[in-house]
Amino acid sequence: MSIADRPEHDPAHCREMFAHLSEYLDRELDETACREIEQHLRHCDACRACCATLARTVALCRGMPAHAVPETMSTRLREAIEKLRSGDGTVSGAGPD
Amino acid sequence: MSKPRVSKQQRTNDRDASLIEAINAGETDRFYELVQRYQQALFNFGLRICGQAADAEDMVQDTFLNVFKYLGTFRFESQFKNWLYRIAMSVCIKRRRRSKFAPERELSLDEFLPGDEQIAAETPAWAREPLDRLLDEELARRIEDAILALPESYRPVLVLRDLEGFSTEETAQILNLTSGNVKVRLHRARLFVREQLKEYFNHEHRRSA
Repeated sequence: MSIADRPEHDPAHCREMFAHLSEYLDRELDETACREIEQHLRHCDACRACCATLARTVALCRGMPAHAVPETMSTRLREAIEKLRSGDGTVSGAGPD
Repeated sequence: MSKPRVSKQQRTNDRDASLIEAINAGETDRFYELVQRYQQALFNFGLRICGQAADAEDMVQDTFLNVFKYLGTFRFESQFKNWLYRIAMSVCIKRRRRSKFAPERELSLDEFLPGDEQIAAETPAWAREPLDRLLDEELARRIEDAILALPESYRPVLVLRDLEGFSTEETAQILNLTSGNVKVRLHRARLFVREQLKEYFNHEHRRSA
């Protein structure tokens, strides 16, 4: 059984709130929609737990450490650009559009 | 059709504007400054989209070579950074056939609705602990694996929004999607990654109990 089937929930409303949790976390909802979600979260343990774990997932992604650039990549890139600057290189087509 | 006019304000707001203007005016040796500014971010973007360091390196190289070739046509109609990532995405798409990508499939919201066993559950400890106590090397690797397991129409949305820090509108512009579409895909992608993390933390909890 999923949360949408629980008798204490209005399944359609619960699903609707669940569908907008990311927008809520990103502050992309208007004030009325925010209030509606907050009201729902006060009464729905499952959505509240989901919202907290979702927020944590986003925070963990944002906190991911960056990998260092391999030395060989910088050297290879510099050589390739140097060739282009001297009119000696070619570019495989992948322009802006 | 005439090109949209670009205000001086748009140009001034772009932190790369003066450097790009100098390069386009003939100081091509300054192109390396542009490379220095973005190579690490692009390399990490490539790693998260392609999964392999060698593919990411090739992607970065192809992207910068294309930027060098087309920079003279850049008209500040978007931020330079957004244009750069648009080229990077287009390079990734062209290289896709040669890389190992997760199979494409639609993620449905219903598959992420909390199940019966979780309804009475309290907010789990991993959602309450300080971030720096959680994010170690192993967890970072699990997150990277979860991102790579995302179907390919969801992965760039999550990477651009939650790892590269682009706004919804910028992500939509880079990926040529509507903002609504970005929001829907982002939510499902986050729910997918969250499921993988839940499994990881449940396992960790059992192991430490």
